[in-house]
Amino acid sequence: MSHADLPATVETLRRLREDPHRLGHGAHDRSAPAQGVGHGVTGPASKRIIVGYGFWLFLLSDIVLFSCFFATFAVQRHATAGGPGPHDVVELPRVALETGVLLLSSYTCGLSFAATNAKSVLWTQVFLLITGLLGLAFVGLELQEFVSLAARGITPQRSGFLTAFFGLVGCHGLHVTLAGLWLLTMMAQVQVKGFRPEIIHRLICFNLFWHALDIVWIGIFTIVYLMGGLA
Amino acid sequence: MFGKLSWSAIPFDQPIPLVTSVVLILVILTVLGLVTAKGWWPYLWREWITSVDHKRIGVMYCLLGSVMLIRGFADAIMMRSQQAVAINAGGYLQPEHYDQIFSAHGTIMIFFAAMPLVIGLMNFVTPLQLGVRDVAFPTLNNVSFWLTASGALLVNVSLFVGEFARTGWLPYPPLSETAYSPGVGVDYYLWAVQIAGVGTLMTGINFVTTVLKMRCPGMSYLRMPMFCWTTLAASLLIVAVFPVLTATLAMLSLDRFFGWHYFTNTAGGNPMMFMNLIWAWGHPEVYILVLPAFGIFSEVFSTFSGKPLFGYRSMVAATLFICIVSMMVWLHHFFTMGSGPAVNTAFGIATSIIAVGTGVKIYNWIFTMYGGRVRLTVPMLWSLGFIFTFVIGGMTGVLLAVPPADFLVHNSMFLVAHFHNVIIGGVVFGIFAGFDYWFPKAFGFRLHEGWGKAAFWFAFVGFWVTFAPLYMLGLQGMTRRLQHIDMPEWAPLLDISLAGVGILIVGAACQVIMLVVSIIRRDELRDVTGDPWDGRSLEWATPSPPPFFNYAVLPNVEGEEAYWGIKLRAIETQQMSPEPHYEPIEMPVKSAVGFYTAGFASVTGFALIWQIWWLAAVALVGAYAGFVVFAWRDVHELHVPADEVARVDRARRAAREALMQRLAQQEGAAP
Amino acid sequence: MSGLEFDPDAYTGELDQRGDLAPGDEPRESAGHWVRNSNLGLGFSMVLTIAAFVLAQTHLIYGPAIPVALIVLAIAQMGVHLVFFLHVTTGPDNTNNVLALAFGILVVFLIVAGSVWIMNSLQHNMMPMDQLIQLQP
Repeated sequence: MSHADLPATVETLRRLREDPHRLGHGAHDRSAPAQGVGHGVTGPASKRIIVGYGFWLFLLSDIVLFSCFFATFAVQRHATAGGPGPHDVVELPRVALETGVLLLSSYTCGLSFAATNAKSVLWTQVFLLITGLLGLAFVGLELQEFVSLAARGITPQRSGFLTAFFGLVGCHGLHVTLAGLWLLTMMAQVQVKGFRPEIIHRLICFNLFWHALDIVWIGIFTIVYLMGGLA
Repeated sequence: MFGKLSWSAIPFDQPIPLVTSVVLILVILTVLGLVTAKGWWPYLWREWITSVDHKRIGVMYCLLGSVMLIRGFADAIMMRSQQAVAINAGGYLQPEHYDQIFSAHGTIMIFFAAMPLVIGLMNFVTPLQLGVRDVAFPTLNNVSFWLTASGALLVNVSLFVGEFARTGWLPYPPLSETAYSPGVGVDYYLWAVQIAGVGTLMTGINFVTTVLKMRCPGMSYLRMPMFCWTTLAASLLIVAVFPVLTATLAMLSLDRFFGWHYFTNTAGGNPMMFMNLIWAWGHPEVYILVLPAFGIFSEVFSTFSGKPLFGYRSMVAATLFICIVSMMVWLHHFFTMGSGPAVNTAFGIATSIIAVGTGVKIYNWIFTMYGGRVRLTVPMLWSLGFIFTFVIGGMTGVLLAVPPADFLVHNSMFLVAHFHNVIIGGVVFGIFAGFDYWFPKAFGFRLHEGWGKAAFWFAFVGFWVTFAPLYMLGLQGMTRRLQHIDMPEWAPLLDISLAGVGILIVGAACQVIMLVVSIIRRDELRDVTGDPWDGRSLEWATPSPPPFFNYAVLPNVEGEEAYWGIKLRAIETQQMSPEPHYEPIEMPVKSAVGFYTAGFASVTGFALIWQIWWLAAVALVGAYAGFVVFAWRDVHELHVPADEVARVDRARRAAREALMQRLAQQEGAAP
Repeated sequence: MSGLEFDPDAYTGELDQRGDLAPGDEPRESAGHWVRNSNLGLGFSMVLTIAAFVLAQTHLIYGPAIPVALIVLAIAQMGVHLVFFLHVTTGPDNTNNVLALAFGILVVFLIVAGSVWIMNSLQHNMMPMDQLIQLQP
């Protein structure tokens, strides 16, 4: 029997009394111990984890962005419109140099965070500076490549394939450039503010970003350059 | 100096946009003047514009969404009336103007009405339901909002300066390429959506982090209210697919600005790749909109049936299932573009399968009501209307998922009726239900029931009178986006549809009247308990409106339906839990970085649209400088002393005590 | 490099009691292994990179297998980066990070594989766009 004028709270208590075994739903048995299912039983995470995780998600979205450029490259690979093909744009020695430079920068970036962990401003700055210089070298090499290609009439306006090529590689180069700007800002912050919590959180994020860019480059040098050179 | 911008950009020769813009500008000036005269600027700046409080940001999102909803609705009225009068005639809208209207209607409704309203509700409710004090990144939240507002601003500027896209709400190439759309319309679209899209992406990141990493003690995954689950699923989809939108629009911009060949129909470009990529974003996008609405309905059905949500776990499973499968169906938007039968079949089957997840939800909602004590309040009416409307919309969707059937009605009015059926019936009804449901929590008084019910019935009837004829017209072969019609036998149905729009206008007016009446009579509608609906989840444990720190002490959750358990215990034992020990609270300080950044983003967008390169560079540098200044600040948190926390919480406990007494008396009197 | 020794006090914010780590972080007790991990990561990556570049220019293995081998090497190197530079582990403290990563990989797979499949099928069924244009009078 039901009393439509009573609030559901009151009605539920009455039903509880009439149906002590809670046939139907067993969630609020107060005698049973609280059972947590899943993670997070201890409340909100620390700021370090929250910031790191949020940035991790941003990286995933950035990787998805790159995946669109990769997919377009895969689709447009043969759309050369009678112009230069993959074989004509690949210069393996330069690519090898770029790869080496970026890998080394990833390594020094990792070391910079080891120094941060050890609370050494000096070594953090030194390794960040090396990372930045290597990044600069990478961007410089890439610009040089684009200029030399353009001198041979190989520009994105030429064909769908070249558009996809310049778009993918250029998007990565743009990311490295912006990361360099961030790196400079971070160095200034470390110098002025020291290792305050929020600065360390930003260094964690910067590290993740730099390594992620190197991971994207692995995809680029394999799919665009090495496999392009095969064709 | 000013790129392509000149006086000819202002449509002096077109009366409709000119008069509209002048009226709009006058309205805006009046509002600004009123605010200045009343001396409200310091308050607005301090408490709203620079606020990082998720509740304030949620309200601002809803306000933005409501204003843009009206703007989009005005476009819809013009389209329906144009088609009703332009039978063997030219109508009152020129083709190039009509094309802008249907493009603006879709763009505004999806990006600047539905998205802000859904995100606004997510913002307001999720941290309260999770029992925490704010989202994971409060300042970023503010930035997201202002970026969305910046995009909305650009769309509205296009009314007065230049033109909007004439390409439909998704600018399909090659029509949207420079060769066929040399004007600035498509650029307005690209930069408005790009800027708002970045804001949405950051919201997605923010909410995934909030739900996964910021829950109050004891709030395990399977104790979260359903709305939190749907927020999580929608936010995951945002993180997964909004970068696709960013990439696709960036490619189209490169084509337009620099003559590249991503999507051109010359030199090896591939226009079909645009359809492919844009729908890889576009289909999950509709689930980003509708999943939070599903969450709202779950809360509403459960609360107003006085029962726990039926099949909670199957609901969670269905939500995550939809989240994943929604990324595997995008080809059904272009079955006709010429892929082979294997591809079409695979995506057709995936599309049909996704209806299973939704079906599970529908049955769960129905069974939640079964045996419950259903109260037909306004949110409940919207929810019931949703079930009826959405089931029919969903079934026409399953029909469209069959490739051979889709070939017949592709791009017809049948399709138009279908997606309005699911988006209005699902998303808009959900937003209105959520609006009525959480309004007392946000403002401390309930909305007027009578006008709310009137609004529902007019909207419900008006919807069907408007769109049922469009289904029939679609089956008779009427394609979408027709500026004039040379089939006189379609006239009766088009007239009925226009009459439906009239009913919808009455419904919209009822909503406005409801708001006004409720504000005037707020004292008798006041919610003093903080729990006006006999709610079940944690947001109802706070006062209405909640203090800016939400919870004096983070709640400790001991089961599903956290607040319901606390409430039952309090009534039965006739006493509240002992007063906790109050400690000082740290809250994030307000920040103007969002407002500045979005201001610079608007300028950048405007400069890029008109190709004023120096201005774009200046604005970008300004935005970067704004970020650095923000990153340099020393004070991040505001200290709320324990006394203040205790004072606020004791008031809440007193109100709560009175409620418990009343309920306990009622229980004692019950047979 | 004595400056690189681990200093436990450098950890901001206590490690969470629920056994959770920020992405890229290592548990407190093994945080001293940063340098060793970086060295290992660099070593493995160099080997894999050199292998890839050599493979692409020689005829040591069966020609059509080379692209497959290159992709395998690339995936291996991405794994090396994830493990040694980004410190992704299978431990319970990394569950959320790995789940997010898996979700991201799924999305990337769906978008790339889906696009390539759809567009190839289209190209197979339809005349290429430039020929289609030439058909028009």
